[in-house]
Amino acid sequence: MTTFTLDPATKVIVQGATGRMGRRHTELMLGYGTRIVGGIAGSGRREGSPTPLFDSCAEAVAATGAETSITLVPPMDVLAAVTEALEGGIRLIVSPSEGMPVHDAVVAYGRVQAYGATWVGPSTPGLAIPGKMKLGFIPDISLAPGPLGIMSKSGTLSYEACFRLASAGMGQSTWVGVGGDPVKGVRFAELLPYFQADPATRAVVVLGEIGGGEEEELAEEMARLSFGKPVFVLLAGSSAPEGVTMGHAGALIQGGRGTIQSKTTALRDVGAQVFTSIEGLVRGVMEGDVRS
Amino acid sequence: MLLLEHDAKEIARDKGVRIPQGVFVARDTVGDLDLLGRGPWVVKAQVGVGGRGKAGGVGFADTPDAVAAFIRANADATIKGHRIAGFRVEEKVSFRHEVYLSFMVDAASRGIRLLLSAQGGVDVEANAHQADAMLTAVAPPGLGALVAAGENLIPALPEALRAPVRSAVAALAQMFLALDATLLEVNPLFVLADGSWVAGDMKLGVDESAFARQPALEAAVRARPDAYPEANFKLDHDFDYVRINPHGQIGLLTTGAGLSMMLIDEMLQAGRQPFNFCDVRTGLLRGSPQRLIDVLRQFTQGDEISVVFVNIFAGITDLGEFADLLLQALDAVPELEVPVVARLIGNNFEGAKARLARSGRPITLEMELDKALRLAVAQVGAAA
Repeated sequence: MTTFTLDPATKVIVQGATGRMGRRHTELMLGYGTRIVGGIAGSGRREGSPTPLFDSCAEAVAATGAETSITLVPPMDVLAAVTEALEGGIRLIVSPSEGMPVHDAVVAYGRVQAYGATWVGPSTPGLAIPGKMKLGFIPDISLAPGPLGIMSKSGTLSYEACFRLASAGMGQSTWVGVGGDPVKGVRFAELLPYFQADPATRAVVVLGEIGGGEEEELAEEMARLSFGKPVFVLLAGSSAPEGVTMGHAGALIQGGRGTIQSKTTALRDVGAQVFTSIEGLVRGVMEGDVRS
Repeated sequence: MLLLEHDAKEIARDKGVRIPQGVFVARDTVGDLDLLGRGPWVVKAQVGVGGRGKAGGVGFADTPDAVAAFIRANADATIKGHRIAGFRVEEKVSFRHEVYLSFMVDAASRGIRLLLSAQGGVDVEANAHQADAMLTAVAPPGLGALVAAGENLIPALPEALRAPVRSAVAALAQMFLALDATLLEVNPLFVLADGSWVAGDMKLGVDESAFARQPALEAAVRARPDAYPEANFKLDHDFDYVRINPHGQIGLLTTGAGLSMMLIDEMLQAGRQPFNFCDVRTGLLRGSPQRLIDVLRQFTQGDEISVVFVNIFAGITDLGEFADLLLQALDAVPELEVPVVARLIGNNFEGAKARLARSGRPITLEMELDKALRLAVAQVGAAA
């Protein structure tokens, strides 16, 4: 079981800082206030880097004291990047890359566990404490400080839902994208103790979808922790045919498992409100008992 | 994604796993069948979902004529909404025992789960409710660890099954690891009178993200564009596209997997039929309208499409540039003569608005998603 925690002042290094994506997102994250203290150079251009460059994670950690990294590398290179970060002393790793081989993710998770570190992703839009820092691709127009703890399997669905909630005056305390892959570093249930303890979080919004058992596991964890804050869940994919993957590798129903019905029942049984449209979610949260 | 049983077995044979000899027979085969062996035969519909046997997709035949009759009778059948891709015809195996053995990536424990039962066959799920019928263990993804996990379970099996299962665990674990498989299920695993074993049926789940290092799997998928349409589209175009309903009324040109899934749900809730799912990923357009053209071309195959719905939530993408690409794409597919409802939001909305207005095309621009959805739904007319 992973313990998730997030310090808004955490020092961050960017793995793959000299790539096209790496450079652009380093600039965007710096612009948002993220404390990026260095980057690991890849094969791209070094001149004009927005952050000091190093040749390895170990070197960057020694020079900067960074504890967090974001791996902006191609999907086939994520396992190596995670391994290098762990060996270099990084404690929190965020991996946005889509298309990491599943066996690589299983191996990476085993290594993360062995080091007692935390890994968010792969295939995550990232995470954020709005107004303070963001790690990843979450667009600024969706970010606003507020009372909602966000956990999401989908980037775009969370951008849309949080943009509309923020426009209605309901921003976010902490936002974590767990990613749309089946095997991932942090699962919904593992975020619950953080949101339970976080005083800025008054309610939790979950952007879930068909496939896998994460929503059911979340319901079990809510019961186990006697989770006391309101939980609002939006589930996508109620119409997806069995055996067909809709973009997210994890969003796959096989043998009647991972259905909307199973998730809805499990979550409602523990007091969560479950919605199947964005409009319904927004109305539910706005009318819900969320003290901001 | 699941490979067809036939493809899975041929790949397994290349990996040294013993399977019953068989041939693939296309749905529309005419004339004499070129069968292996002297029969009797098992005829198995090839489809990428489980539960085939109980859905009538497996038949037994004593003569080639009976094989042909089963194929004719089932050629146009669908199983759980999936069209049958063809048939695998195998000589029937005489066996002593049916064992269940599978390996799968277990998302919850983030390891490899091994499942083993001395009572395999089509009723394995019913038998699993009996205490101790299904043995299970989780191990890290390494051959030694998987074999050791199997060794812990094997003593619970009847004596006669231990040696063949030990051999099968090692062979199938190796295959599972070597292929980056997400699932390798052999049920039944036939144990023969001489103590050897044969993979009677096989489900192989493969990881498209690993195709770059699994050329044989990629080749198997490319060899059957009709059986694996989504995977082939992704290999050819590098983004996700799924045809949902050939009689769909709304073509989706959208970005983001989760949001696109949600839009499909909401259209169905409004009583309209979406034609497709897609995730074009605007961040990867890189100044080219190609992906948009690829999707619009698909819409020309939908005879009931009456509106194209575009949804772009642009965190980074410049909407003015996107509008230019959309117009270029529409120009490139002139045979698609349907109105467009474009919901765009984000950077440079005004630039997009000016460009779309200047084009004189029937494009309705809207910033709010729910309003745009209602406009698209209204274009379809009354609910079907």
